Amino acid sequence: MAEDLNWAIGGEAGDGIDSTGKIFAQALSRAGRHVFTSKDFASRIRGGYTAYKIRTSVDQVQSVVDRLDILVALTQRTIDENLDELHEGSAIIYDGERSWEAEIPDEMTAVDVPLKSLAEEAGGAIMRNIVALGAACEITGFDVEYLDESLEKRFGGKGSKIVENNKEAARKGQEYVQENYDVDHLGYNLETTDNDYVLLNGNEAIGMGAIAAGCRFYAGYPITPATSIMEYLTGRIEDYGGHVVQAEDELSAINMALGGARAGARSMTATSGAGVDLMTETFGLVATSETPLVIADVQRSGPSTGMPTKQEQGDLNMALYGGHGEVPRFVVAPTSIDECFWKTIEAFNLAEKYQTPVFLVSDLAMSVTEQTFPPEAFDMDEVEIDRGKLVDDDDEVDEWLDEQGRFRAHAVTDDGVSPRAIPGTTDGAHMSTGLEHDELGRRTEDEDERVQQVDKRNRKVETAKEQEGWEYREFGNEDADNLVITWGSNEGALAEALDYLEEDGVDVRVISVPYIFPRPDLTDEIEAAEETIVVECNATGQFADLLEHDALTRLKRINKYTGVRFKADELAEQITQKLSEEVPAQ
Amino acid sequence: MSSDVRFTDFKSDKQPTWCPGCGDFGTMNGMMKALAETGNDPDNTFVVAGIGCSGKIGTYMHSYALHGVHGRALPVGTGVKLARPDIEVMVAGGDGDGYSIGAGHFVHAVRRNVDMTYCVMDNRIYGLTKGQASPTSRSDFETSTTPEGTKQPPVNPLALALASGASFIAQSFASDALRHQEIVQEAIEHDGFGFVNVFSPCVTFNDVDTYDYFRDSLVDLDEEGHDPTDYEAAKEVILDGEKEYQGVMYKDENSVPYNEKHGVTEDMSEIPEGAPDDAMDLVREFY
Repeated sequence: MAEDLNWAIGGEAGDGIDSTGKIFAQALSRAGRHVFTSKDFASRIRGGYTAYKIRTSVDQVQSVVDRLDILVALTQRTIDENLDELHEGSAIIYDGERSWEAEIPDEMTAVDVPLKSLAEEAGGAIMRNIVALGAACEITGFDVEYLDESLEKRFGGKGSKIVENNKEAARKGQEYVQENYDVDHLGYNLETTDNDYVLLNGNEAIGMGAIAAGCRFYAGYPITPATSIMEYLTGRIEDYGGHVVQAEDELSAINMALGGARAGARSMTATSGAGVDLMTETFGLVATSETPLVIADVQRSGPSTGMPTKQEQGDLNMALYGGHGEVPRFVVAPTSIDECFWKTIEAFNLAEKYQTPVFLVSDLAMSVTEQTFPPEAFDMDEVEIDRGKLVDDDDEVDEWLDEQGRFRAHAVTDDGVSPRAIPGTTDGAHMSTGLEHDELGRRTEDEDERVQQVDKRNRKVETAKEQEGWEYREFGNEDADNLVITWGSNEGALAEALDYLEEDGVDVRVISVPYIFPRPDLTDEIEAAEETIVVECNATGQFADLLEHDALTRLKRINKYTGVRFKADELAEQITQKLSEEVPAQ
Repeated sequence: MSSDVRFTDFKSDKQPTWCPGCGDFGTMNGMMKALAETGNDPDNTFVVAGIGCSGKIGTYMHSYALHGVHGRALPVGTGVKLARPDIEVMVAGGDGDGYSIGAGHFVHAVRRNVDMTYCVMDNRIYGLTKGQASPTSRSDFETSTTPEGTKQPPVNPLALALASGASFIAQSFASDALRHQEIVQEAIEHDGFGFVNVFSPCVTFNDVDTYDYFRDSLVDLDEEGHDPTDYEAAKEVILDGEKEYQGVMYKDENSVPYNEKHGVTEDMSEIPEGAPDDAMDLVREFY
């Protein structure tokens, strides 16, 4: 594995931390380096510490680690917050002319750059972060010219003067460090490659997947950390004949999306746990009216308002069991940013094939993390659309009419899936309802019809189990005695933890599961392993509970609920530790 | 649309379970006639119904329909119309559905001005749950849950619509079949959100707001020479607490419906068999 560099810029929310970080990340990506970003932030618009962190390497990077090499600190708190990750080889760029007196541990390299003054020389104090980027380029041996393209991308819309000023600001920072510091001793020299990469986060991947999958109608209500899906689609989905509508609340959002789906459009809503609470009201209606709908839950820390800008995977049980009564739903949880794209497409296909709501469960960590991929990772030619039993010509419709010529929208079939006619289809007019209904969709309390409809809906799950792959991903040594299972966004950290574990001589097999329901049966894998650990970002081990139930055994668990995602090195340590503990009682 | 569509084509073969004499019969008949009269047929019509006695309407009519969750009929109708501008959307519900549990949606549906029709069957009582106060019940109306009356002023749905920026506000009476049909028809033909509050008496649980009461008290705005395009005149009749009116109170002739304003004109059910042709452009954006 090539040497990686961990870089961060931190300051107050409102200091432009995010956009500055993004500019540097894009420059690294353009230089053919892999990038993995993460953010520390508070929910306030201004006020409160925030940081944008970049891990970069010429190899693929898919996790954060507990190490920080270069830090641009706009505030003392930025330094204080990151003391644990800084080390003696770290360099800290700060502005000594600012009112605060930087307290930097002696063993680190303090790089005092008059960011504000140099920015003013280039045309305005607002560009001080860009001066810092220039300084960072010099320290890391990274050609400042790589910044130019991302500055053009970021500021191009504001005119060439602004772009030129920013380029100048970057050079001033670079030159200042060159003239005043000997940073060669730090030994950083960022290698570049000819590779082309795209840089995107999980929410962007979900949005792009939705458009690729033919989603044309999106209704949502803003909520952290799901809003950026809505923002991505707005301004893009229109190019494909679609529309995004901002509803008055989540109750409305899911009902609008339901309306769009009943009308025949591939429809979607996205929210976070607190919004799913409200949407749960309508969830049963979606499921029992057999409406294809994709509901994305970008999880954040709960319960209630919880920690709105912090990571957690605490909504699994809600996705599986939310709502009164019993009705099937599918729960899909992509395990990486590129998989956010593919699983979104799959969610739409599952929804229409089985006429059921599909929860697409992601999380905050994945939603804010940007990662580089070769563009082929999103090969649009590979996208397949399956609309299931949509009937649109007269013959097809005729086949499903009863003796009186009425369309049997909830016909009881062997596979549990009924024909689907959308408005405008001749002779397809029918009713659907949240009441228990007969084949025609009309209210019934007849015992036989009730049982037939419940069984038919549940039969869709059995059909899907047989027809779909429900594959999981695997890393590490397939024959290892120790098995580690995880779901969702922990995959990257776990895959990288393998490198650390290998160094320590610990051999493990990793299984990363993107399907929560239906899900692959891992009983054989669990039984074959001497020890099994389930890793997830919640306190109670919701996925571990499911696996224990499936395999009828007790499993070890690693749970993190601090609000911060797993880091590769930290996870490796915990796995080693866990393996040495007693197996829980049967 | 086929010109030979009759209003009975919008009737399902399910017998209504409304109480004999319920206002909802007349309300529904007028809606079906108005739909047929405006050139619609069951296969291009989507009816969304809420919960309550009124919510049963989707079962008794024949069209594409969804009988939804209590109070959320308008959002469903909004979704249908945005995804399928070619489909006629008719939303129906009661005063509880529209002005209590769904009041928030009412305000926003009004201001969104999606081109659909909303008929509220207002009987000023909760009928399906056997006689509790509704948001339009009179303040002194005694019910099982308000034995001394609600002691709250009733919601004025017309004023709520006006304050929310409505482009079409009307009121009709289920028993005045011809006028009711005319008014609903005008709401359907209106370019935007056509809102009709329909007095639809409950013969079982409301002995105050009865057929006789409305027959005796209703003032027809047509006979009063009311000009619905005159906002000030509309405001006056809507805020008049003394009289009950029927007719079109307000109509914004310059109304531009949501779909038109936002360029939402395509049938969203039609999608390619794979990703759109130029979808790789979306990927390249992330360079």
